[in-house]
Amino acid sequence: MSSRLHGPAAWLLVPITVAVMIFILMPLLVTVATSISNTQYIIFPPHGFTLQWYGNALQNQDFLSAMWFSTALALAATTGALVLGVPAAFALVRCDFPGRGAVSSLLLSPLVFPVLITGVALLQLFSMLGFDKTALNMLIGHVLVTAPYVVRTTTASLLLVDVTLEDAARTLGADSWRVFRRITMAQIAPGLAAGALFAFMVSFDNFPISLWLADAQHNPVPLLIFQMIASVFEPSVAAISTLMIIFAMAVVLILERVGGLRRAMAM
Amino acid sequence: MAAAPVDTVTGRPAWMPIAARRVHLPRRLTAVALLSPSMLFLAMFFALPALGLISYSFLTQASDGTVGLPLTLEHYRHFFATPLYSRVLRTTIEISLITTALAIVLGYPVALVMVRSPPLIRQTITIIVIAPLVVSVVVRTYGWQLILGNGPTGILNWMLLNTGIIRSPVALLYSETAVVIGSLHVFFPMAVLPLASALGKIDRHLEDAARTLGATAWRTFRRVTLPLSLPGLTVGCTLVFSLTAGSFVTPAILGGTSGQMLGVLVEQQFLIVYNWPFGAACATVLVAVVLAANFLSVRILDRRNRYAQ
Repeated sequence: MSSRLHGPAAWLLVPITVAVMIFILMPLLVTVATSISNTQYIIFPPHGFTLQWYGNALQNQDFLSAMWFSTALALAATTGALVLGVPAAFALVRCDFPGRGAVSSLLLSPLVFPVLITGVALLQLFSMLGFDKTALNMLIGHVLVTAPYVVRTTTASLLLVDVTLEDAARTLGADSWRVFRRITMAQIAPGLAAGALFAFMVSFDNFPISLWLADAQHNPVPLLIFQMIASVFEPSVAAISTLMIIFAMAVVLILERVGGLRRAMAM
Repeated sequence: MAAAPVDTVTGRPAWMPIAARRVHLPRRLTAVALLSPSMLFLAMFFALPALGLISYSFLTQASDGTVGLPLTLEHYRHFFATPLYSRVLRTTIEISLITTALAIVLGYPVALVMVRSPPLIRQTITIIVIAPLVVSVVVRTYGWQLILGNGPTGILNWMLLNTGIIRSPVALLYSETAVVIGSLHVFFPMAVLPLASALGKIDRHLEDAARTLGATAWRTFRRVTLPLSLPGLTVGCTLVFSLTAGSFVTPAILGGTSGQMLGVLVEQQFLIVYNWPFGAACATVLVAVVLAANFLSVRILDRRNRYAQ
């Protein structure tokens, strides 16, 4: 049995994989190293050790308000994506209707269309309609790009539900609401939680929608870092970036615990 | 031989996929009720603005900035007739193709190792591959800016200078190469994950059979593993190509003028030049490139499925 890698193939594949892993981790590690460097300018190799840049970052009003706004926006967008996406996923998996395939690809189409262009199209729509509530416009844009992820993970979880358990509960006299709550929801809850968390991160990290719709009062973190990269040449950018990396790693570990990373992404 | 394991509750053989049976909700009305909020939302905020943007690219902008009739193809003529703009289109396609090729060449070994390793190693590779996806593209691109920096303190330059490979710092940043490296890093998971999922589904007995019948490892790979992984390969290629072609952050930070891509051009036209109809034309060209790639991949997968039957 050749269920494991061995022989000359392994000698070729394993070093490539190790090199790629280093390639993947390098920019993250470099950012972390720079953030604790004891110099006014970004130089390599980092000199000394300081947490000064974290102090600067945490006192930076722009960063704090961006952090607050991004969190609120991502929470609202995730809620919106769940409200729209979960019922749609139920219809796709549990209902029989003509054109189900077409509806399914339509629901996922914002993932295929370049997000940057979705954003500029929204900018044009909002300016034509005279929608000038920036926060609401951004929420609409973020729901648009997070909802497909919720549809995808919820569909995947629903397909794994053991429907015989629902039959059993019904036979034992449970009404449909009780079956839904205690059997169906209980089974898809981990997948749903993972999908919601992933949607939260997609919104929190989103750049190509926010680019078009944000203004000075509503500036999410990715946009702020982008602006700082062009204008601030000291390691506080690295400190803010490192905070984002730590936050993301925490989410990854939770995702892995909740339902498996690859399942959260439905890939 | 022992009897096949059977689920004690349902009497269903344990190997039978759980999703083999579907429960259908009673009425078609339910489907309409469940789907209409999301479909209305998509129609209003996705289909409508996308069509609006495309039609905008055929309108004329008057000298006072107002946009209206007559309909014109002038923006597209301007785009393809101006070397500056048509070069951006060429650069975009070039960068996307090279990134896709590199992502597949490097992603295939990683996916193979990922699928065929013991659980602990598999989990570690999965986390390392996926984790950067959750880190903002801006943050990751910033890391590459630190690494590729043009001065002697750019990390790669520092390493090359210190090992004596180069005498003076080389210009890495603000080039097509820098954008390819950054894009490869950002979209690499999109190549590995579909590949890993395709490779994971391959019946290992087929490879064992080929080996038993005397095929070399290379021949087994070429005639069995590679063809069976083709669907994952196609999906991975399409994803990496589309996402790279439509990217903004990476070319904006790492590209400079020589690595300029369509996304940056669209942003300039809308937010700096305020020529919205021409910006809409650039955006439409970008959409056409991405949709063409997706259409091609659907065709390839369809033809493969027909052969399979």
